[in-house]
Amino acid sequence: MSNAINADQFKHSFREEAREILVDLEAALLELNANRGDPELVGRVFRGLHTIKGSGAMFGFEDLATFTHNLETAFDEVRGGRLQITSDLTDLTLAALDQIRAMLEEGAEGAPPPDPVACAEILAKVRHLTGKPENRRAEKKQPEKKAAPDSSLGAARWWFIRFAPGPDLMRFGANPLLLLRELKELGGLSVKPSPAAIPPLAELDPERCYLSWEMVLTASATADAIRDVFIFVEDNCELSVEAASPPASLSASIPDSPSASGTASSVPLCAADAVAQALVDRRASSGGRREYYKPENASSLRVPAAKLDQFVDLVGEMVTVQARLAELSARRDDAEIAAVSEEIERLTSALRENSMTIRMTPIRATFEKFRRLVHDLARDLGKNVELTIEGAETELDKTVIDQLSDPLMHLIRNSMDHGIGSPEERAKSGKPPMANIHLSARHSGASVLIAVTDDGRGINTEAVRHRAIERGLVAANAQLSEAEAFALIFQPGFSTAKEVTDVSGRGVGMDVVRQRVDSLRGTIDVASTPGTGTSVTLRLPLTLAIIDGLLVSVGDASFVLPLANTLECIELTSQDIERANGKHVANVRGVVVPYIRLREHFNIRTPRPEIEQIMLVETEGGRYGFVVDRVLGDCQTVIKNLGRFYRHVQVVSGATILGNGTVALILDPERLAADAVRLARQGMMRGHPAGHPALGAVGTGHGGKRESSQTNAA
Amino acid sequence: MSIALEQGDQSSAIRLEGAIDIASAAELKERLVQALKAGHEEGTDVRVSIAGVEYLDVTAYQLLWAAEREARALKVKFSFFGEAPDTAWVGLADAGLERFKATENDL
Repeated sequence: MSNAINADQFKHSFREEAREILVDLEAALLELNANRGDPELVGRVFRGLHTIKGSGAMFGFEDLATFTHNLETAFDEVRGGRLQITSDLTDLTLAALDQIRAMLEEGAEGAPPPDPVACAEILAKVRHLTGKPENRRAEKKQPEKKAAPDSSLGAARWWFIRFAPGPDLMRFGANPLLLLRELKELGGLSVKPSPAAIPPLAELDPERCYLSWEMVLTASATADAIRDVFIFVEDNCELSVEAASPPASLSASIPDSPSASGTASSVPLCAADAVAQALVDRRASSGGRREYYKPENASSLRVPAAKLDQFVDLVGEMVTVQARLAELSARRDDAEIAAVSEEIERLTSALRENSMTIRMTPIRATFEKFRRLVHDLARDLGKNVELTIEGAETELDKTVIDQLSDPLMHLIRNSMDHGIGSPEERAKSGKPPMANIHLSARHSGASVLIAVTDDGRGINTEAVRHRAIERGLVAANAQLSEAEAFALIFQPGFSTAKEVTDVSGRGVGMDVVRQRVDSLRGTIDVASTPGTGTSVTLRLPLTLAIIDGLLVSVGDASFVLPLANTLECIELTSQDIERANGKHVANVRGVVVPYIRLREHFNIRTPRPEIEQIMLVETEGGRYGFVVDRVLGDCQTVIKNLGRFYRHVQVVSGATILGNGTVALILDPERLAADAVRLARQGMMRGHPAGHPALGAVGTGHGGKRESSQTNAA
Repeated sequence: MSIALEQGDQSSAIRLEGAIDIASAAELKERLVQALKAGHEEGTDVRVSIAGVEYLDVTAYQLLWAAEREARALKVKFSFFGEAPDTAWVGLADAGLERFKATENDL
């Protein structure tokens, strides 16, 4: 039935919104734990709980609503100054949020079910803390009177509220009656329904809501708290909340708050005639009924991720077809076809850019959820650690964000367990007892840099070397550079921990980090100073779907270089090669830049042209040149995976289909350069300084960075 | 939920039972239209039994409200009989929609 489908859709929508509220709740709670007594944070936590409770009840999550109601009561006590925020209350609330999350996801594949025993324990502890009996919100037959949520915020105010549900509100599973009931919980409510819009029976759409309501609420609630009641239907209704003045004849009889009056909120606080008069006055002053709010005015729209993926896939196909059209147009000397092709190219480019923008999501939600991890681990490990976040608004592709949680979790766990010492150890080192883990994100060209930085012990490279020797990863007399030592910590099963703890020490986590970052075609950069701290930076591509590329050819083979890495193109003549004495370096306006001849690197056995082209690219390791035969031009490139048989080919990040139907490999400049350097070093170790034709005499690119480790091109 | 229409010589009786909400709104409308048509053409009364109602939502309220207004326009006698439990009115009462609650008599 369509109603059932709509109800499911609305429940799904509620789940999505509630997940976001839970993330915010958790962050607010942890902030509150660090800034106890901050009324704004208390209000944020309270409103979050209140919204989940109210909306949960509306969408049929009665158990969730009842459970949350008890928690909300505790935070009402906090707001009223009758209960203090303590670590116990914070931990209890965090545990309760876990259960709320479980209730929300109940039945979903892989989701842990709610634990009734844990729930009961939590409620018992809440009751113990608040000294109040259990609130049984689920008992619907008893119209409840709960303490007015905003009772602590001051004297009661008059609010004039107008609520006109949108035509489809009920079809989406929302129930205006439950919203009004929820509103009534805030204070004394007088309601005046308006049936004026109900059409003749024959014309009446039975599933549409025609009624609207005008109300006067006397409560100490804020306008935000009132609007929160309608948060899940705000795009599908007309709602106005305005402060109003009580009629002079009534002001003397209105109690400060509903709870203070001791009357049930369903009992009007003033004579019905007076309220009706207030509503009439209000209507007259506001110019009568306003135009119905149109849902199309909504500023944002929630779209399932799967639909978005499908859309981007189709755009990718479109880009491929457009390339074919451009190829066809180039072969046919037809001005009309050329004009259409150019127009299609322009539109496809705009479509591609727009579709990519839609997929971009701020990393905030991913970052914020680590506050909880840090809080819990700090408690379990007996350490004082604060998490600071920077650049949470940085946007990157949803697909990338989805895969970031695991590596970041392992990096943070590793920092907490191994990097940061105990408070005593920190005191001995002259460090403040509160350790810091800094999570940051920022854009850098077509990449995003995500760093986890701690102010802990730093990496002991000697311990790493010993462990590597024990495990047979390096020779007993091996002298490792700092970068090589850092690279070892990402080896499978590698750990310098003396004992395995619940948190880390099995040597699994950092291997997972490397694997995941590899799969995202990213790189890892480690910088560490003993006694000062460690910073692990993940460089990840902004998107995994479509990139701007530069099409080049070597012999019969075509390659794509990501445009974002490309700086410029210069010619390489036989004279240039002679001047460099055969070494693979080019003089670019007085700066020596090493180059890699792709023909040699990929063993392409075709004669090289008289004049070659050097594509200068910028990599983390510095500036390099890639020598190709011809530069064919720029192209929009839909990235296709090479498949699992080629998953170990690191220098290629994928393939794309060209307009003429042939396949071009998409090069990964970072890894290609690193691979060439590695081969050159191997050649030198074997006693052939120019053992590999590329970089025979040059170990790193021009502008190589600080001592650090990049793990790639394994 | 059930919505049954019994048409007799003198009156049409619509018996509502269970939760009458958006899921049954289309059916309720159909029954009301049928009953009013018969009332208009054959001069029969329309009686709505709410004794077995457990819950009424906004859509049901709107339909009953519209039917009652239409009956008045058509000069068809339209009444409710039976008494629904208080729980059926909880939500409607909060929303100021108690018009049909206390009406065992004709509207």
